[in-house]
This record gives sequence, C-alpha cells and structure tokens, in this order.
Amino acid sequence: MSDVIRTEALTKMYGKRRGLAGLDLEVRAGEVYGFLGPNGAGKTTTIRILLDLIRPTSGRASVFGESPRAGGPALRRRLGYLPGDFTVSGNQTTRQLLTHLGFLRGGVPASRIADLAERFDLDVSARIGSLSKGNRQKIGVVQAFMHEPELLILDEPTIGLDPLIQQRFLELVAQARTAGQTVFMSSHVLSEVQQSADRVGIVRDGRLVAVEAVETLRRRAVRRVLVQFDDPIPAEAFRDVDGVSHVEIHDTQLRCRLAGRADGLLKAVARFPVAEITVEDPDLEELFFAYYRGEEANDAA
Amino acid sequence: MLRSVFGKTLWDQRRVLASWSIGVTAVGLLYAVFYPTINTPEMADVLDSFPTGFLDAIGFTDVFSAAGYVGSTTFGLLGPALIIIMGAALGGSAIAGEETSGRLDLILAHPISRWSVTLQRFAALVVGMAAAAALLFVGLVAISDLAQLGEIGVANLAAASLHLALLGIFFGALALAVGAATGRPGLVYATVAIVGVGSFLGNNLGPTIEGLAWLRDISPFHYYAGGMPLRHGLQLVDAVVLFVASLVLVVAGGLLFDRRDVAV
Ligand SMILES: Nc1ncnc2c1ncn2[C@@H]1O[C@H](COP(=O)(O)OP(=O)(O)OP(=O)(O)O)[C@@H](O)[C@H]1O
Ligand SMILES: [Mg+2]
Repeated sequence: MSDVIRTEALTKMYGKRRGLAGLDLEVRAGEVYGFLGPNGAGKTTTIRILLDLIRPTSGRASVFGESPRAGGPALRRRLGYLPGDFTVSGNQTTRQLLTHLGFLRGGVPASRIADLAERFDLDVSARIGSLSKGNRQKIGVVQAFMHEPELLILDEPTIGLDPLIQQRFLELVAQARTAGQTVFMSSHVLSEVQQSADRVGIVRDGRLVAVEAVETLRRRAVRRVLVQFDDPIPAEAFRDVDGVSHVEIHDTQLRCRLAGRADGLLKAVARFPVAEITVEDPDLEELFFAYYRGEEANDAA
Repeated sequence: MLRSVFGKTLWDQRRVLASWSIGVTAVGLLYAVFYPTINTPEMADVLDSFPTGFLDAIGFTDVFSAAGYVGSTTFGLLGPALIIIMGAALGGSAIAGEETSGRLDLILAHPISRWSVTLQRFAALVVGMAAAAALLFVGLVAISDLAQLGEIGVANLAAASLHLALLGIFFGALALAVGAATGRPGLVYATVAIVGVGSFLGNNLGPTIEGLAWLRDISPFHYYAGGMPLRHGLQLVDAVVLFVASLVLVVAGGLLFDRRDVAV
C-alpha cells in the first residue's frame, strides 16, 4: 500500500457544528503534501483524527493502512506531530522537555537534539517560559523531527517563525523528503507550501475541493506584469492578447495579468519602446483565491 | 525522572507537592501542639455546653485523650479537608487541567496509550499523597513529647498517617477519574466537593438518623477513621477498601477517557 494517509468520506461533527463533511484524502509515501485551507476549513480536525486525539463521526481514516484508533501507540511510534497550538509547561528547560519526549519515543540521541537546536538557533538550557513565541514554536518543530519519523504531521508549522527560520524549516522538510520521509503539513500561507510541497490539497468547508501537483499549479498560476513604456500607449493596444487579462493602461504604464505562455504578451509589448518590465513570480495565492471565487460563483448560481 | 510520564509528572509537580506537604503538616502540627491546653477541666465545661449532635457532626469525640484529640482535629477535620483539596488539585490537573491548558495533545500523540498516561499520573498522585502524609507523620513524632502525645505511639501515628494518605488517594482518584472521563476541571472540583462533604456528614450523621445508617458504609470516611487507627493501628481491611475503590475509580475514568475526544 503506497498511500501513507488515506481518508474516505471522513466526517466529524462537533455536536451540531461541522468539523469535516466527507473528506477524501490520499497522501503518497515519500511526498510532501501541503494541506491548505482557510480558517475553520477542517485542517486541524483532520490532523487530530489522524493522531487518534478525536474520533470521526463517520467515514474512514487510515495511516500506514491502519485506523489511528486500532494502530494505537505502535502506529504513533512512526509519526512526528506538531500541534497547531504547541503548548507545554513553561517551568522546564527546552533540554528537559526534548529529552523527556525523546524517551517517550524510545530514545533520541542527545547529539541529534543539539544538532537541530543549533540549526534553529535555539538555546536548550533556557526555561521555556522565558522564550518568545517564535522560539517556542521552534521547539515544536524540533520535537516533531528529532526522532526521524516515517511520517511527519505538521499543523501550521511555520506560524510565528521569522523568514530566516522559515527557510531553515523548509530545508529540514526538503531533507526529510530526500531521506524518504513523508510530510503532511497544513497551512494557509501558500507561499511556504509552493516552495517545498510536491502536491497541495485545498480543503474548504470540510471537503477536499482540489488536489494538484505544485508544478501544474505553477504552470497554471497567474503572473502579474508591469511594463513601463517610453511613450504613452493607445488604450486598445493590449486588448485580445493571448493569456492576458485585467489590463489597465495609465499613460505610459501597462498593468496586466498573464496566465500560461508569455509569447503573445511579449510580442505585443515589443511593438513599443520599453523602459522597464517587472514580472511577479507566480503566486499560488492567486490561484487559491481563483478556486474560491469559482466556488462562490457556483454557489451563487 | 525524565524517562516516563510518571517521573516527569513528579518532577513537574515537585514544588506543588512540597508546598502541599508542608501545608498539611504545618496545619496538622499547629492543632496537635494545643493538646496540652485543651486537656483541662475548663475546656471540658466549654465542650459540654455544645449540643452533642453538633459535636458528632464535626466529628469531635473524646477529645480529652491524646488519640481522641489528635483524631478529632489533625486527623478529624483539617487534615482530611486539606488532603482532599490536595487530591482534587492533583487529580484534577492530571488530565482535565492539562487538557484545558492544551498540553495533553502533545503527550497523547506520542507512542503511549491513554491508559498508560492515566495510570502513570495516578501513580504520581499516590507518591505525592504518601509524601504529604509521611511529612505529617515525621512532624507528629517530632513534637510528640512537647505536645504530650506519647500515649498514642509511633506505630499508631504511622497508621493514621497512612489512612490519611489513602483518603487523599481516594479523592485524588475521584478527581482524576472525573477529569479523565469529562475533561472538565469545573466538574471535577464540584464532584469532589459534593462527595467530600456528603461522605463526611454521611459518616458522622448517618448512623444517628433512622434508615440512613447505610450512608456510613459507603462513606470513604468510615474506612478512613471508623476503625480508629490512632488507637488500634492499621485497619488493613479498611485500607484495602479505600485503595481498591481508588483503583476502580481510576479504571472507570480510564475506560471513558479512552473512548472520548480530547479537547484542543
Ligand atoms: N472542539 C470543537 N467544538 C466545536 N466546534 C469545533 C471544535 N473544533 C473545531 N470546531 C469547528 O470545526 C470546524 C473546523 O475546525 P478546524 O480547527 O479543523 O479548522 P482549521 O482548518 O484547522 O482552521 P484554522 O486555519 O483556523 O486552524 C470549524 O468550523 C470549527 O469551528
Ligand atoms: Mg487549525
């Protein structure tokens, strides 16, 4: 069985409130899977079911082919987990906590802990209560990775981390991937996922509404283009150019969005003297909200 | 200490346990040292002026012997009250408290069963109660001459302290079980308060009311003090009843814990 995580029609009701409404998910062995969705979509609910912290109302979930409940401690031995809200007692040092958690997992070499702490610039001898929020989050990341589990389940791992540390985190994810570990991580920040994930799934209102390879998304993604010309250009010059939309022309400036091949736009631009051109990287965010607008339009219809 | 949930729990609670132990001991000794001042004819008149029903209700009996006095005060009212509150605090924090503060997720996501967490936290509670009772025992032995408690004897002081520890374990187990089953600290404290006061009164007043004598038989206080360990030493059957009842509570709590959702 090559699916590390699999859910079928997974549903969770909290009383009358919807947590999940029939989620179908497949995460393959060895991939980095970005689990995206807005607040309240059901990301944390899914993850907590996978760890057997909560039980589904109906439907099925399996991790390494076993239900989280039946798999019990033996199954969890193969996992690393970072809770969405990483809270531990402040009255201990990072080293004490990590040593303890290491023992619960059958022992983690002190050198491994020291190594990870150094990468994240974490002072293991400080009382946790004295650490900043971001530094506490680092501890959460370290404890999830330190025993080199086969599957990492990370709920909004980069929350509170500064850009430099986020980068270190992404390196760690890339290394885990190279080592054959599977990573399942949730986020609303698409930029962090597009850099490290092989595939992303978008969850909305408790259902998976789309799954795509990041490559495909990137290809389909929309770029923002800004061109500065030497002279004013005619208003209709960029009407009906292949792949171009949202055209705005102000005097000597063109703003537009480009989807797919750039050829049509470039040839149209080349007809005029060009001073400057800026193309913003394709952003999954755009695509993400495009999905949304589509869905909302459908709902309205 | 860091190897198991049991060891880690004790380590995390070391200051709390020290405070409780010192508190229970200090209050217990404070009462005990007044024995010489109470053991006078003037006090006898004062106590005679109270209606006997009232004295029964608060568990005051035979306060002119050392065993009677210490049994009515240190081991009769404040010791049990404090040890029960300690049980509620420790047992309530073991699961429900951790859960509401959001710390339980991380532990339960480890390769450890909920059963194991429940039992290890219970074991830590047993050690905590034993420590508090042991300190009280040591304190009582130390002031024994000063407070004229010699006639009680070291063995009986030890027995009474052990019974006190078992009473604390019982209420700690109750708190832990309610917390494990529901995850709600408020419910834990309410349950302990109701059961605590109810069983105290049930034990003292039950037999005096027609048809309510059975209240005493189900009261943990009956198994705690009914056999008068300060006079007669360890009451093995009573002690076993208290401990087995505690285990039953913990197992019931563990069963329900295993079935329910853990709150974030
Ligand atoms: N304990 C709970 N009781 C009641 N409703 C809950 C509970 N936990 C979650 N929910 C509801 O379930 C839905 C999904 O919540 P979930 O926490 O899984 O979302 P999420 O995708 O993780 O959101 P976020 O991005 O804000 O973390 C939400 O509508 C939420 O209100
Ligand atoms: Mg969440």
